[in-house]
Amino acid sequence: MGLLGFYLRRLFTIFKGEVLVLPSRIVVLIFFLSLLLLPIVTQDPYLLRILILTNIFAILAASWDLLSGFTGQMNFGHALFFGVGAYTTALLNLHAHIPSWGSIPLGALAAVLAGLIVGIPSLRLKHTYLALTTLAFPIILLGIVFAIPDVTGGEMGLSGLSRLSRSRVIDYYVTTILMLGLCTIMWKITDSNTGIIFHAIREDEVAVRTGGINTTRYKLLAFCLSGFFAGISGGLYAHFMRIAGPSTLEVSMSFQVVIWAVFGGIVTIYGPVGAVFLLVPLLEFFRFWPEVRTLMFAVVILLILLYMPQGLLPWIRDKVEKECPRCKIRNIATRNTCRICAAPLD
Amino acid sequence: MKKTRILLSVVLAAFLVMTIGVPAYGAKTIKIGVIGPMNFMQGKGHWNGAVMAAEEINAQGGIQVGSKKMKIELIKADSNEFLSITDATNAMERAITYDKVDFLVGGFRTEAVLAMQDIAMDYKKIFIGCGAAHPTLCIRVARDYKRYKYFFRGTPFNSMFLVKTCFAHLGFVGKELKTQLNIPKLKVAIVGEKQVWVEPMIGVAKTTIPKLGMELVGVWRPSQTATDVTAELSAVQRSGAHIVFTIFSSSVGITFARQAGELKVPAVMVGINVEAQKDGFWKATQGMGNYAMTMNTYARGVEVNELTKPFIEKYIKLFGEVPTYTADTYSAIAITLKKAIEKAGTLDADKLIPVMETMEVMVPSGRVKYIKDAKGRKLHDLAWGPGYLTSLGVQWQDGELKAVWPNGWQGVTYKGVVPYKIAPWIVEKYKK
Repeated sequence: MGLLGFYLRRLFTIFKGEVLVLPSRIVVLIFFLSLLLLPIVTQDPYLLRILILTNIFAILAASWDLLSGFTGQMNFGHALFFGVGAYTTALLNLHAHIPSWGSIPLGALAAVLAGLIVGIPSLRLKHTYLALTTLAFPIILLGIVFAIPDVTGGEMGLSGLSRLSRSRVIDYYVTTILMLGLCTIMWKITDSNTGIIFHAIREDEVAVRTGGINTTRYKLLAFCLSGFFAGISGGLYAHFMRIAGPSTLEVSMSFQVVIWAVFGGIVTIYGPVGAVFLLVPLLEFFRFWPEVRTLMFAVVILLILLYMPQGLLPWIRDKVEKECPRCKIRNIATRNTCRICAAPLD
Repeated sequence: MKKTRILLSVVLAAFLVMTIGVPAYGAKTIKIGVIGPMNFMQGKGHWNGAVMAAEEINAQGGIQVGSKKMKIELIKADSNEFLSITDATNAMERAITYDKVDFLVGGFRTEAVLAMQDIAMDYKKIFIGCGAAHPTLCIRVARDYKRYKYFFRGTPFNSMFLVKTCFAHLGFVGKELKTQLNIPKLKVAIVGEKQVWVEPMIGVAKTTIPKLGMELVGVWRPSQTATDVTAELSAVQRSGAHIVFTIFSSSVGITFARQAGELKVPAVMVGINVEAQKDGFWKATQGMGNYAMTMNTYARGVEVNELTKPFIEKYIKLFGEVPTYTADTYSAIAITLKKAIEKAGTLDADKLIPVMETMEVMVPSGRVKYIKDAKGRKLHDLAWGPGYLTSLGVQWQDGELKAVWPNGWQGVTYKGVVPYKIAPWIVEKYKK
């Protein structure tokens, strides 16, 4: 009992010193708790549906940031990973009768393979050329989908997949826990040594190579990791929607991911997640004004991109927090001195 | 300051109640969700047809449900399905759980309708599909009746019948050419846009055309958004084709018809050209689309039955254009659902289904009857052929879209159908 008390006190001390001192971390804590506790307050199927899809797209948006934001490998065909994940999951479920807990990871592995297939020819390409090359891959796959309709279902896709789970609440918890877990993993990856190398590749690849680091291997790793997470979101989408069709590979899907990430703020992981949690429900909210729904949505995105070019979430974060010029630790904006080194904050 | 805060709180609370709170609709109406891509022509057709049906029913005091009359309340659900399947399914779930609709009509893109169908079935809501033609939607009913019995096809008849209709048109036009121009062996060129739905039609056409006693001289596949098809037209002309079997759903239908008219290509056009079904076709082709023929559901002046003309004229009066087939939400609501509800005396879906399955109703485009498959399983698919739905063949004749078929086909004769016209330059070239 005493030991438990000791650990609880220690946990509270960590919380007090690391989480409760910064508004951004408090927001993340509230975000985690609200998502996990929401079904206690309401089990409205429509609301849960929106949040389930939001969770799925949040994983997808964060996976784009992991690749394009952190390594600078501008991927304009991210729908490829999503579509490969969705189609593989659907095929395994329909033909091999593998349930969702098996078909989704296998779909993600197929997306890893797709990551390798895209990554290898893209290694020597940069900027516009890379963006255009990656854009071509989902279009090529879409061509293959239409070429073998007996396997892929052609224009109407593969339908009749088994449900993700038996109830909407379980679907919600599966996607929420996966989203929170996978996005935390992605965030930890970017915070690790591997993440630092990803950063460095984006900033100056030649300098990284002269430092003796095999950038090819790291760039392929980024493609595979991004493909894995996007593949999981594709598999979740297929089982939740019970359909995997050409829409998962469309160019609009690839651009949507880029919009989410840029809107929320790239090179953050939390930015794209936050953006999806704002934009997907917002688009639904605008259904109250059906005639101008898409127009209003476009205006919101344009305004944010115009006035907050770094993205919405980094902009808000910079308003409520300051970085210490000496030790680089973040502090709440109301402080005059750094909470760690007591250096004056401007 | 305090007053401002109170005022702000009241405004915010009112806003929340208005937008997030319970829907402020009365419980004494029959709520019908109209789901479709509302920013596109197809969705506008869905909505216009439903509005016309609701106005008509409400003007009569509503639908008789048992001992009371209930008015219709329409709920517009923008599926945005051309751009996002996710959006379509969200719209469906919202209409059912938030707006609490009793019935649903609409849907267009097959991939989206399949996903939306599953949601409607989860909630056991009758969903009358008014747009997608794929047979799978109804095959699902036969395979898993218990789950999918709430789905019925409203319009169009399934794509297998669409193909049969096209070949009936081809046979009809071939006969006209033979009779009027005395051509012994007709040559046919297939021109289909580069889209996946065209593939099976070309496959069937390759085997069917020789069976009709005609010679296939080639297949051309321009892009669906091509702005210049002179190369294809020159090739068609060189092939000596008398008939061009068109399979177009996109803007290339305008380009092809316009340039064929400009070049006076000596071949008649028949088949599917969705652009030629619209009122704007004449202007878009600058009159060069004269004599183009396509399959269509409605044409001004033609009477498939006594309901057709009043429906078309009223629709034109209300919306300023000839109805497209998605406007058959009108028939789904004002005729099929109304009659079923009045007969069953209830809104209970499980009690309405047996009534809908067995009833035969006359609608402006023909007669609706739900058929069974070869194994005798209930399909909830539409009957096609003489006495039921046939659609029409329509031809542009000097600025007007006229019905030219199917008079005489398997004994079917419709009032208002005019003779088929062959372009003068074709008559000049072939008449001996």
